[in-house]
Amino acid sequence: MLTIGKVAASLQVSTDSIRFYEREGLLSPAKKSAAGYRLYTEEAVRRLNFIKHAQQCGFSLSEIRELLEIKGYDKACCNDVYRVAIEKKLRLESKIKAFKAMSQALSKLIEICSHDAKPLDACPILSALESSMAKQHARSKNSHSRRLGANP
Amino acid sequence: MSVKVEAFSSPGCGKCARARDTLKAVVEELGEKRATWRDVNILEEMDYAVELGILSPPAIAIDGELIFPALPSPSRLRAELIKRLDQAR
Repeated sequence: MLTIGKVAASLQVSTDSIRFYEREGLLSPAKKSAAGYRLYTEEAVRRLNFIKHAQQCGFSLSEIRELLEIKGYDKACCNDVYRVAIEKKLRLESKIKAFKAMSQALSKLIEICSHDAKPLDACPILSALESSMAKQHARSKNSHSRRLGANP
Repeated sequence: MSVKVEAFSSPGCGKCARARDTLKAVVEELGEKRATWRDVNILEEMDYAVELGILSPPAIAIDGELIFPALPSPSRLRAELIKRLDQAR
């Protein structure tokens, strides 16, 4: 049996992380010593290693929980993991697309800036952001009014 | 007027393939002039799938719009297609 400190050191994670995974239901000690210390088996070390690698691949804790459930389910097969991986890739690609759109929006703002020593009142980036925020506010106000009109 | 049905799935999903065949038959029943079916391998057309907002295959898009994020029953698909064909008249 390994103490929390030994498990943490073997995989270079903090003991706080291990306690956090326990609170999240991802990793439990096999038992507690008479003095109340958490004790882990080698299986727990393998499980922690799995969690660590999955996190590095961008999987969230709930996705890791799903993967661990699949892993522990006798009737599950490789296709079940394959499905989770494809869904993860779709979400990642979707985020990349959103980030690209944000980056393009920033490029446009950067283009309009003459990057000189104008006062902040004349900063084109700030005024563009303010006007787009004002437009957004007007749009949400209009849609709110429409909703109220439709459902008085 | 022909409604374009696109079925997005990942290769190797046997359950999806069986359900897809049933739905494909619904489209084929309507005739090629009214509705067409295309199988889309999500791994080969990931960008298109992301553009349509697909987050979990299998899913069905109609005329380039994600209509069924999960496979519908044959009757729901038929109803949706008939509604669209009637609107286009």
